Amino acid sequence: MIRAIWDNLKGLYSLLVGMKITLIFLFSPQKTVHYPRKTVERENLITYRGPLELTRGKTDPAVTRCISCQMCVKACPGHCLTVVKNPEKSVKAPIEWKYDFTLCCLCGACVETCPTSALAFSHRIYLVARTREELIFDLLADLKARVEETPVLPGEEGASAEAAQG
Amino acid sequence: MDLSLVTFAQILVAVLAIIGLMVANAVVMVYVERKAAGFIQRRPGPYEVGPWGTIQAICDSMKLLAKQIFVPANVDWVLFFLAPVLAFFPVLLLFLPIPFGPYLTGLAVPDGIVLILAFAGFGVLSNLFAGWASNNKYGLLGAARAVSQSVAYEIPLILALLAIIFQTGSLSLTEIVEAQGSYPWQWNILVQPLAFFIYLVSLVGETNRAPFDLPEAESELTAGFHTEYSGMGFALFFLSEYANMLLVSFVCATFFLGGYKGPFLDGIWWTFIKAYLIMFFIVWIRWTFPRVRFDQLLNINWKWLLPLGLINLWITAIIVKLLP
Repeated sequence: MIRAIWDNLKGLYSLLVGMKITLIFLFSPQKTVHYPRKTVERENLITYRGPLELTRGKTDPAVTRCISCQMCVKACPGHCLTVVKNPEKSVKAPIEWKYDFTLCCLCGACVETCPTSALAFSHRIYLVARTREELIFDLLADLKARVEETPVLPGEEGASAEAAQG
Repeated sequence: MDLSLVTFAQILVAVLAIIGLMVANAVVMVYVERKAAGFIQRRPGPYEVGPWGTIQAICDSMKLLAKQIFVPANVDWVLFFLAPVLAFFPVLLLFLPIPFGPYLTGLAVPDGIVLILAFAGFGVLSNLFAGWASNNKYGLLGAARAVSQSVAYEIPLILALLAIIFQTGSLSLTEIVEAQGSYPWQWNILVQPLAFFIYLVSLVGETNRAPFDLPEAESELTAGFHTEYSGMGFALFFLSEYANMLLVSFVCATFFLGGYKGPFLDGIWWTFIKAYLIMFFIVWIRWTFPRVRFDQLLNINWKWLLPLGLINLWITAIIVKLLP
């Protein structure tokens, strides 16, 4: 009986602790981003897994690391990847890299299976398309455009300089 | 009491004012509650409609007015349409004996609290009618829960109020306020802290608010007894829920917090400030605590509040008898 009363008094105290927490939260600043007027900063998007993109090459960032091994195409459950090999056997880089985002389920099997880490999830959260065709991406062209836009990624200046020297 | 023309006019004006108060209270409290919920969860709440979302509640009520009243198959027509009306109209009567200010009482009946407690039972009856008549399993389960919960929580509520009534020796709300002083240390909350605590827990149970909102538990019963109601039927239930919250807050302010008496200047503003502080407390705990299970709900009542209320009442009775 005394034990039960003591337990209930402790429970009442814990209720007060919870009420204190919500009262502090009531007066703390909000976390909401009012979307059309503001957008999320890049630092808060690195955990977002958007549509696929090809990673930058190690020596020349505009050249993909892809070796046309077709592992991603076999791993993909939605059959959304098309990788066309270069007819010349000596060149490993693909001549065409098509990605159909309408079929992609963002499972990440291709990213995990890639032997050269040529694939990664992008952080494109504000992606808009008006037709189906706009969602079929040419990833080689996309990589070229990205490298032209920002030749060196922010925060990676030292790393790329080292790579160029090495 | 003679029902002269003056009394009749007084009641008519009071009822009209109470309808205005009920509607204004519902509109303001919906906005305040959604804003408080947003701030507690660190988001802005209603924001887009009007400046800071201020006309969101008005737009919602306009939508409810214009909505089709959908009647499902195999309902009991009489009870189905009687239930929302029965939920709404007794609340008008319940506000009549409350002393809002020193001279501002709708109808100063000598046994005001008996009137309030007696007619508050219609709320439970309307919930039962709504759940039964809508021929819906969720509605019926919600109605069954509402009845057992409200019947259970009425007892400690009345025991807590009885302790104050014993101490004051009157059933009139005005006399209970007059027996208290203007300053916080003269209020009944300091004389009867246990009764205040019991009343505070029971009022949440009695108005079916979270964490005791089992009759309309969204995650279990879709919406409980008002699942099948749309448009104005739902709006009437909604209005009466907020009006009931306001009523128990006014009764709490009258019994424990000195009613219209307050520091510096007695008046209607003190009643409203105290009642709305209790309303804010109800909103605050709604967004803090998770919903209890039904056995826990009844255990809190029968194993703790009822014995505590009886002991409190017994001690009060002895002290009142020994120390006149």
